[in-house]
Amino acid sequence: MATPPETLIAGRFTVSLGQPMPESGGGLPCFAAKDSRSGDTPLIAIQVRRDSPARAHSLQMLGQPIDGLLTPLAHGPAPGPRGEAGYFVICPAPPGPPITGRLRPWPEAALISLALRPIALVLEKLAGHNVTHRAIRRNNVFEGRRGQPLVLGAAWAAPPALHQPALFEPPYSAMCHPAGRGDGRIADDVYALGVLLLTLALGRVPLADLDDAAILRRKLELGSHAALVSEERLPALISDLLRGMLAEDPEHRPTPTLLLDSAVARSRRVAARPPPRAQRALPVGETAVWDARTLAYALGTDAEQGIGALRSGTAVQWLRRSLGDVQLATRVDELVRQRLADTPGEEPRADAIMLMRAVTAIDPLAPLCWHGTALWPDGLGPLLAASGDSALAGKLHDMVAVEAPANWGSLRPERCDVPMLRLEARQNRAYLGTPGPAGGRSRLTYMLNPLLPCASPLVADRWVMRLADVPAAIEAAITANPKAVPLDAQLAAFIGARGDSRIETETNALTGNAQDVVNLPELRLLAELQVRYHPRPLPALAAWIAGAAAPMLALWMNRPRRRELTERLKALAAAGQLLPMLALLEDPPGRSADAAAARVAADELNRIDAELAAIAAGADERRAVATRLGQEIAAGAGLLALTAMLALAVLG
Amino acid sequence: MPTVARPPRRHSLVWLQGLGCGAVVTLLPAMALLLGVLLLPGVLAVLSDQQPGRPVARTVLICGTAAAIAPVLALWGAGSSMDACLGLLGDLRVTGTAWSAAAVGWILAELAPVVVLVVLDAITATRTARLRAERNKLVEEWGYEGEPDTNADAHE
Repeated sequence: MATPPETLIAGRFTVSLGQPMPESGGGLPCFAAKDSRSGDTPLIAIQVRRDSPARAHSLQMLGQPIDGLLTPLAHGPAPGPRGEAGYFVICPAPPGPPITGRLRPWPEAALISLALRPIALVLEKLAGHNVTHRAIRRNNVFEGRRGQPLVLGAAWAAPPALHQPALFEPPYSAMCHPAGRGDGRIADDVYALGVLLLTLALGRVPLADLDDAAILRRKLELGSHAALVSEERLPALISDLLRGMLAEDPEHRPTPTLLLDSAVARSRRVAARPPPRAQRALPVGETAVWDARTLAYALGTDAEQGIGALRSGTAVQWLRRSLGDVQLATRVDELVRQRLADTPGEEPRADAIMLMRAVTAIDPLAPLCWHGTALWPDGLGPLLAASGDSALAGKLHDMVAVEAPANWGSLRPERCDVPMLRLEARQNRAYLGTPGPAGGRSRLTYMLNPLLPCASPLVADRWVMRLADVPAAIEAAITANPKAVPLDAQLAAFIGARGDSRIETETNALTGNAQDVVNLPELRLLAELQVRYHPRPLPALAAWIAGAAAPMLALWMNRPRRRELTERLKALAAAGQLLPMLALLEDPPGRSADAAAARVAADELNRIDAELAAIAAGADERRAVATRLGQEIAAGAGLLALTAMLALAVLG
Repeated sequence: MPTVARPPRRHSLVWLQGLGCGAVVTLLPAMALLLGVLLLPGVLAVLSDQQPGRPVARTVLICGTAAAIAPVLALWGAGSSMDACLGLLGDLRVTGTAWSAAAVGWILAELAPVVVLVVLDAITATRTARLRAERNKLVEEWGYEGEPDTNADAHE
């Protein structure tokens, strides 16, 4: 039996599914890969999960290899290990295993020369490309031979920071939904590099006995530096560096360029005072809150309890009396009063807005907290992709509908680009409000995730990521299951999101529930797709449309003409071209003539009905006429006889 | 004040007819007797026919009159004497003919409307059948029973 041809990624790379490399993908499924042009270079292919799209911006920006980093070389669809549709990012193979299993205390010189400087250099170059790494963690940093600089793993096959443990993330990122952490800033990579340095300096994982939630609580209560470093004995240089690198405020962390000169970087002193602690704890749900940052975290991640604490005034009272921050208490109190004075309409959304504003007022460094979910606005796309149709997706829908990110940005203008946030929020809301099956949350999700494959069940066995893939995928789906409807809401939204202005008209013309039937707008869109992206025949799809063309044929009034069109449609379907079928069904002059003839026929029918009704109603009149006429005839016959007798009498 | 249109006054000619009959009875009693006997069915028909214009009585009278012309001329030729009148009335053929003619007139007046009605119904049935055939053809061709939806563009 002949083996199927291997799928080439970017026309040159093949995935060797028989050679898994589980340690090289930073936690993601990874396989060896080959370059068909220069087969010597060891490569890896990291598999992308269907609901966790690869990072389009990073893949686009990183065109050239960067030393010390597994730079992406190519990406594309290929069959997965179980024969399923897969998508892989091709990178150079790491020089050795990850440091996970090889932890040992590193001397200060090695830390600086083999870890800090090489990685800072990589981060500097990434920052130059306006790209962040967001995957610096133990299992994604690789060590070749002893004395070789560390190499950063790939971070492109999943949304940013999706797989980061809380230890390696700043607390304001760790508290977010893993898919909603966003690209962040290079300062977040500096933070992760700081944790990596600490891990290498200690030769063990700090806070290894705590889970992610406990680590996050500790970081919030004590501050990251105090939580991770305070009880450890470290070289002075490393300790000074970590004080800056683990600063809570990203503005206070040294830049990668500054880290290249460790002496300069250590001289940059950062005040790392622990946050003020209250005299007594405030219980918010299951969290005992002792400081303002933890209060913001508790309010933001436990919406029900948070709204209760705000509405009842216990949070304000605690801020004023136990924490002693009167100004902050007054600000939060104003927010709550403003909400309570509002009209009760749209209560869940209004409460969510109040909660978001309160969290931002209490902790300006905190991410956007919406109804119990924390996220950074640039993480909205991956979070939507991960949420599917869950309750979280509904909350995100509300968030976009009220342009919450713009509102959130206006509360902390010094820390974000408010005009840009406002613009994006408005755009997202417009996508969300696009009417018809091609709009809504699905459209927004595809718009925000350029590498997210189409989630339609119809094409679930394929990785459909571009418009050009759609016609062939539909053709294959119809061939496999002739009863399937070739255009559902997911496909419509996907086409709308990936399409350009040339097919926008056709996409926006889709109305109603596209899952029921294929009508003229759907056929127009499919025909446009075939013409523009897939000029080859689509016989199965064409045959399906010919067989299900009743709604389109119903636009023609004349039944013999319909039968004739059905026959011609079947004949055209054999060729697999949709455009002639569309032309046959649309045919504006023919349709006008048909409509005019239909009107004439209707008038004729009405006339006949009127005449039949008159006949049915005219029986009495007819009888009266017959009586009158018959009597006249009888009288006429009598007169005739009389005249004849008179004539006989006169003549005779 | 608006004026109300009055219906035109109809002048009765019964008194004139009575005067004519009285004159005939006075001047020509034999002729009056002969006419009275021969036209007796017509007179009875006039009394019994309540339809406007008395169409049945009219036909009966006309037919009876046609049959009475010959006996009247014969009586006139015989000098309009009472004996000749009784002689004519005694002739069963004269009286029978006159009364048979009146009967034929009555039958004709009764049957003619029926025949005309049958003819009219036949014509109507033919027309109805043709219309139904046309209608069925239209329904088959255009597929609607009542008012058709000619706004086909609205389906898109």
